[in-house]
Amino acid sequence: MSRREQDLVDAWLRGRLDRRGLIKGLGALGVSAAGANALVGMATTRAMAADFDWRAHAGTSLRLLLNQHPYTDAMIANLGAFRELTGMDVTFDVFPEDVYFDRVTAALASGSREYDVFMTGAYMTWTYGPAGWITDLNEWINDPAKTAPAYAWDDVLPGLRASTAWNGVPGGELGSPDAKQWCIPWGYELNNVSYNRGMFDRAGVAVPTNMDEMVEAAAKLNRDIDGAYGVGVRGSRSWATIHPGFLSAYANFGQRDLNVSADGKLSAAMNTPESKAFHAQWVRMIQESGPRDWSNYTWYQVGQDLGAGASAMIFDADILGYFMNGEGNAMAGQLGYAPFAANPAASAPTPNVWIWSLAMSNFSQRKDAAWWFLQWASGAEHGLFGATEMDFVNPVRQSVWADEGFRSRLENSYPGYVNQHDVSAPGAQIYFTAQPLFFDLTTEWAATLQRMVANEVPVDEGLDQLAASVDRQLRDADLG
Amino acid sequence: MDHASPLERILRGVALTVVVVFFMFPLVWILLMSFQTNETILRSPPSLVFQPTLDNYRALLGGRLVGAGSTLQVSYVQNLMNSVILSVSSVSLALLLGVPAAYAFARFRFRGSEDIAFTLLSFRFAPPLLVLLPLALYFQQIGLANTYIGLIWVYQLIVLPLILWIVRGYFEDISPDVEYAYRLAGHSWFAAFRKIALPLAGPGIAAAGLLAFIFAWNNFVFALVLASADKQPVTVGALAFITASGIQFGQIAAAIVLSNAPTLLLALYAQRHLVEGLSLGAVKG
Repeated sequence: MSRREQDLVDAWLRGRLDRRGLIKGLGALGVSAAGANALVGMATTRAMAADFDWRAHAGTSLRLLLNQHPYTDAMIANLGAFRELTGMDVTFDVFPEDVYFDRVTAALASGSREYDVFMTGAYMTWTYGPAGWITDLNEWINDPAKTAPAYAWDDVLPGLRASTAWNGVPGGELGSPDAKQWCIPWGYELNNVSYNRGMFDRAGVAVPTNMDEMVEAAAKLNRDIDGAYGVGVRGSRSWATIHPGFLSAYANFGQRDLNVSADGKLSAAMNTPESKAFHAQWVRMIQESGPRDWSNYTWYQVGQDLGAGASAMIFDADILGYFMNGEGNAMAGQLGYAPFAANPAASAPTPNVWIWSLAMSNFSQRKDAAWWFLQWASGAEHGLFGATEMDFVNPVRQSVWADEGFRSRLENSYPGYVNQHDVSAPGAQIYFTAQPLFFDLTTEWAATLQRMVANEVPVDEGLDQLAASVDRQLRDADLG
Repeated sequence: MDHASPLERILRGVALTVVVVFFMFPLVWILLMSFQTNETILRSPPSLVFQPTLDNYRALLGGRLVGAGSTLQVSYVQNLMNSVILSVSSVSLALLLGVPAAYAFARFRFRGSEDIAFTLLSFRFAPPLLVLLPLALYFQQIGLANTYIGLIWVYQLIVLPLILWIVRGYFEDISPDVEYAYRLAGHSWFAAFRKIALPLAGPGIAAAGLLAFIFAWNNFVFALVLASADKQPVTVGALAFITASGIQFGQIAAAIVLSNAPTLLLALYAQRHLVEGLSLGAVKG
């Protein structure tokens, strides 16, 4: 490395230059892009190794169980840096998302020692944690001898840290002081509006900022735009129908899924007058301006329609809108993004989140070494690499969101994306109550929503029936 | 000599065309989809006019899945090879074990023969997930987890009972008198089995083998639970095209075309035996 190259890299390491600026600067000195990336990798490795014994487990081999996802691809692309930094070897199994959790459950339920680290969603840890399949990571996070000083756990968005920590008590508050850190947030998605800018312009509709405006805008778009419906939301009989836009809007009205009494007993909370009013509005919006076969809609269909120009907007994961703006979609480059607070009286959005996280198997025989990998994979350096060089969005670290290179890359190709995230991130967290019947009760909620949309049951009556059923199940499970 | 009137011939032709179009339409549509991009597939309304592309096949064979703004690695060719290895090996092993066993059950009455045959059939009744988790534990202990041999062994749960019971029926349909006559000439029972019974039951064995192959090829859950990603068959591998960034319909269609090809070719090759074999079973009275 020449002196001038060294100076540039040092400036970047001291934070005076962003990654993009560094690579541009190196380019000006005649270093190729690949060469610049290699230099950056080497310099980072050197800097990271300066204040922590990254090679404490050199020679150890780890095995990962991963979901096929752009996050996984970003990690695999950067794995060489981890091997060089630690002297450890990493092998992995990647399974498609449709079967991924079956595979995880099979591996954990059989007590398999094969995998040390695996990807999970925070909701799944509500089952895995109490079953003793995963390890409380506080033990490592809070141990300065085992965690690099630069790891900066507090840099991870607070809502995400809290959402992945639970004390294991049904109804226990997420992120409470006695909570166990079941997994480390890795990449996440919050729920906001992604919309077709051309269609909104043609129909002369402003981007909705609350539920009333969304119902109105969706109806007008539905009427005015040929070949497209107003708003895409999920509708299949699954817990996944409740957790994106629906719960984000519901929580914005201050509504909860369950009540937790002072003695820790749970009861249904979805049949309050406010909840009934919100449900009625949501159901009407789908009936008036939703997709025709809404009750089959998973996130695939919601995203696909937006990308193909069959819907004018979606109220779903922001990264779904992000991917639908990419090449291979008829509407590539034509989408916009906006924050959405359903309640006109609310000061900010309250998006519920899906967090792809990394967890440590309790059956791992190499837990310390696994932690070395976890802190590298969830560290700021890899986060920045993934966010700027690959599709590792949304990053979970505030420092990555503050990176000018990342922000300008997003702003140039995804108008409004950075803003919707900045406005929403403080309120982004899991708004469900952590309890073991989560999947059953939420799926029943989706089934009730289907009956309401199909006019099989009036909204008020449907919610009363749902609440009665939820209460019965909670009592049967000794939770209510 | 054809005595049909011209009208009858025309009507028959029309009827045949309608039936062929009805049954072939999904296959042809998938074939057409495999030469289109996602963008043209998702056009509304769909159209038969498009610019054909080989990108989907290129992505499958090259192992890189590009779509909706992201690139993913896929190992479809390896999945295909795994399916071939698992299906061919498990059916070969099942034929090797099952055909002599079927002959024994058909020709010899011995204590517990029906019980054993029924026990083998009962493997087909158990829901696979019921046995897979305990099996996973045992496999890990004895080192069979993540091995082709372990999987081929487990695949016997699907193919062995099928072959045994179908082929047993064919052996029972063949009159034993021919074999007795052959044995009276001084030949052993094994020679009678090899020279007389096997050739006569050939079409039945081919039909059973083909059916077993299709069942093995379509299996999904065994490898998913018992093996790592590099041993997964196409049934699991095909799901790789449902990605976080969207469903890659063109590549799914190309994957279906490629994965159906071996079964289709095998069925075409064994068509004569298959029809003979199936009709032999059908006239059992």
